[in-house]
Amino acid sequence: MSDITITSTEPTPHDESGHELSPRIKAARARSGVLLFMLSDFMMLASMLAAGGWLSALNVLGMFKVDTDQPAFGPGLLAILVLVFSGLCYFVWQQGMRGSGKEGQTPFFLLALLLIIGALAMQIWVWLNLGYITPPDAFPAYDAFQSVVLLLTGFESVHLLVTSLVGILVLGRIMNGRLAGRDYIPQVVGYWWYYTVIAGVVMWLFIVLV
Amino acid sequence: MSTIATPVKRQNLLQLLFPSVVSGIILGVIGAAVCAFIVAHVVTPPTPDTLDYAQDATIVAAYLGWTIFFFIGIGAFNGVWKWGFGRRDETHAEELQLAGKDQGLWRYFRYTTDHKVVGMQYLATVLLTFFLGSMGAFMIRLQQSQPGALFFTTSTYNTIVGMHGILMIISTIVMVSGPFGNFILPIMIGARDMAFPRLNALSYWLFFSLIPVFLSALFLGGFPTGWTGYAPLADQTGPGMDAYAFTIMLFALSTAIAALNIVTTVITLRTKGMTWGRLPIFVWGVVLSVLLGLTAFPAFFVSEIMVMMDRVFQTSFFISSLGGSNWVYEHLFWFMGHPEVYVIALPSLAVAAELASVFARKPMYGYRLMVSGLIGISVLSFIVWGHHLFTSGSTTALDGPFMLDTELISIPTGVVFLVIVGTLWRGRIWVTVPLLFIVGLLVNFVIGGITGIYLADVPTDEILHGGMFVTAHFHFTLVGSMVFGFMAAFYYWFPKMLGKKLDPFLGKLHFWLFEIGFVGTFMALFYAGLKGEARWQASVPVEFATPNLIASLFAILIAASVFVFIYNVVITLVRGERAQANEWGAKTLEWAVPTPVPLENFEELPVVTSGAYDYGEPEPEEAAVGAPAQAQAEG
Repeated sequence: MSDITITSTEPTPHDESGHELSPRIKAARARSGVLLFMLSDFMMLASMLAAGGWLSALNVLGMFKVDTDQPAFGPGLLAILVLVFSGLCYFVWQQGMRGSGKEGQTPFFLLALLLIIGALAMQIWVWLNLGYITPPDAFPAYDAFQSVVLLLTGFESVHLLVTSLVGILVLGRIMNGRLAGRDYIPQVVGYWWYYTVIAGVVMWLFIVLV
Repeated sequence: MSTIATPVKRQNLLQLLFPSVVSGIILGVIGAAVCAFIVAHVVTPPTPDTLDYAQDATIVAAYLGWTIFFFIGIGAFNGVWKWGFGRRDETHAEELQLAGKDQGLWRYFRYTTDHKVVGMQYLATVLLTFFLGSMGAFMIRLQQSQPGALFFTTSTYNTIVGMHGILMIISTIVMVSGPFGNFILPIMIGARDMAFPRLNALSYWLFFSLIPVFLSALFLGGFPTGWTGYAPLADQTGPGMDAYAFTIMLFALSTAIAALNIVTTVITLRTKGMTWGRLPIFVWGVVLSVLLGLTAFPAFFVSEIMVMMDRVFQTSFFISSLGGSNWVYEHLFWFMGHPEVYVIALPSLAVAAELASVFARKPMYGYRLMVSGLIGISVLSFIVWGHHLFTSGSTTALDGPFMLDTELISIPTGVVFLVIVGTLWRGRIWVTVPLLFIVGLLVNFVIGGITGIYLADVPTDEILHGGMFVTAHFHFTLVGSMVFGFMAAFYYWFPKMLGKKLDPFLGKLHFWLFEIGFVGTFMALFYAGLKGEARWQASVPVEFATPNLIASLFAILIAASVFVFIYNVVITLVRGERAQANEWGAKTLEWAVPTPVPLENFEELPVVTSGAYDYGEPEPEEAAVGAPAQAQAEG
């Protein structure tokens, strides 16, 4: 069926083109939204770390962490270094964007995005190769420490996935030339990007030190 | 006003249904089936040892599939894709189309971004969930009306109690900030919409999408844990628990998104002159409530992730033989659970203060005191959760501090109460249905608050904990106080939201049946609790038969009040009298716009030059013209 165009004769109460938000409000709204989202996410992270720390302190029946529970240090460190390097690349790109009114040095953004996707792949690899994947005939499976490690690596993977998706969307805007003059987008995406890096480092340190 | 011709595309049936809730449900069901099949037959084929885990994995996969594909089907991701890969930003006309322009009633069944549509969607859904939760309550009272398990088996009764509890908690959390926080709040601050209209729709549809997940628990054997979902019982019970855990996750996501949207709206979209010191108190209440939810609910979300991991991935967060602890769940739960009471309370108390000023026709007594009280409650509510664990043996060293700070919270709460009473004091009282509900709130809140002190004190809590006294206390707080606040808001803003006047006689009948029935029911349960009746009993012991019978008889009045309320709403919608633009002669901005409220609310954004409660000031001529009711009140 083809579309039929009809005409409404109802009076329109106001001009439909003059109600767009000003750039200043759009920037403030983006900042506020991302910061509040990070606050909520931080409370989740804090809950996980508090739960893990408390289980470690309780050490119920001496079973929180047994001798074989040593996390793989090398791969974890490598994943964290990749993550930190991604944050640095993003920072360089964002600095180039600031005030230039142009797209900045796109290769740095591309590198940052590739590294974050790489970190995601590594995180999944680390998760699969922690030595905690239980054979089907071994029941029950993970002790409390292993449970905390799985929780934190899973949470970090979600962070990296979200950052990767946001990065891909920003890349789409760069490719279409829709980032110029919108300095606040790299800025607020940067809030989340740096937060992902810092949260990753904190979780890794927690796993190593607890 | 000139007539402007607006081209409107007429759609065929297929275009009408896709995307909409219909396509969302169809795709969601298909997605659930496909994901469940893949997990059940490819990822985790069950062996005799892993049967339980494989079953849980399949169910969780079905829920994930339902959620993701429902949102694809309803068109939630279309805007995200366009944001990144579209060749241009959406025009204002396209945004208006997304906001439901010229789409009639069908806009309520689509991913519509207009805040008024979202508010109405929340209102309808909350009324539905309230109704379902009320049915659970009446089944409980039916079962408890005589000794001996009359109608339900123990496990069925436990499931009814748990489903009633969590459904009512979820409903009460969003009952004010969902419908009125979306419909009324942006107009109150002089905004044309919420800061993130798409996220606004997302928060509602997340709320909608959890309903089938939650109700699926009925077909999966229910859950025996009650509304708290305590682990390790939650680890050990049947697949109905997966429904509980997934429901909480969806709900936490929905409230977090709604919270960041509401707070950002108030921070960034207040109109000129709407300073923080001039914000209507209702706005303060909603903002503080959702901020509290934004920071408290993540702990609950995490606790349910842990339960889900224990059930699906065989982790041991709550299994003591492998180093886990039940106390982890209890602390995470109550870190959310006590602030949650104030997430519910703050908007209702703010409604009470707002309406007290309107119906006393005088400025609010101590506006800054009221704001300070609300902030004080919000801050203190984060450090009182331990009083729920007095009898658990978890943190005995902290019992004293938790007792002290729980009692401290009665100070800002008392301040809020006194501001409302002070506002009514010596006012020119206009007795309306909303005001009756506010008075009911105040009476019930005193009873709920004072009985709470006994539960905050370690010695008396040792005796009363786990008994009917606690049940009666929190019902006086949540239902007697906060649901009464919701009812006041409903009667107050109904004329603005739906353009009709509710019948005041039926409204008053609703109030009196509800108040008498409610006080009778829960006073009887206070008595049973003081005599030592424990909660969580499917069968009432003989020695508590009389108070339980009395409670059940009074509950009939509550049931009658529900049906009077429904009748009033239906009859008003069918043939009710049209409401005026400023039905109550109030001074806040939502009453300055026409009814029905146009898309984008204001032709020109208003400039605020005075407070919202300046009833002592000379009346502006235009406000008086539109408010004969005010003249009646002041006459």
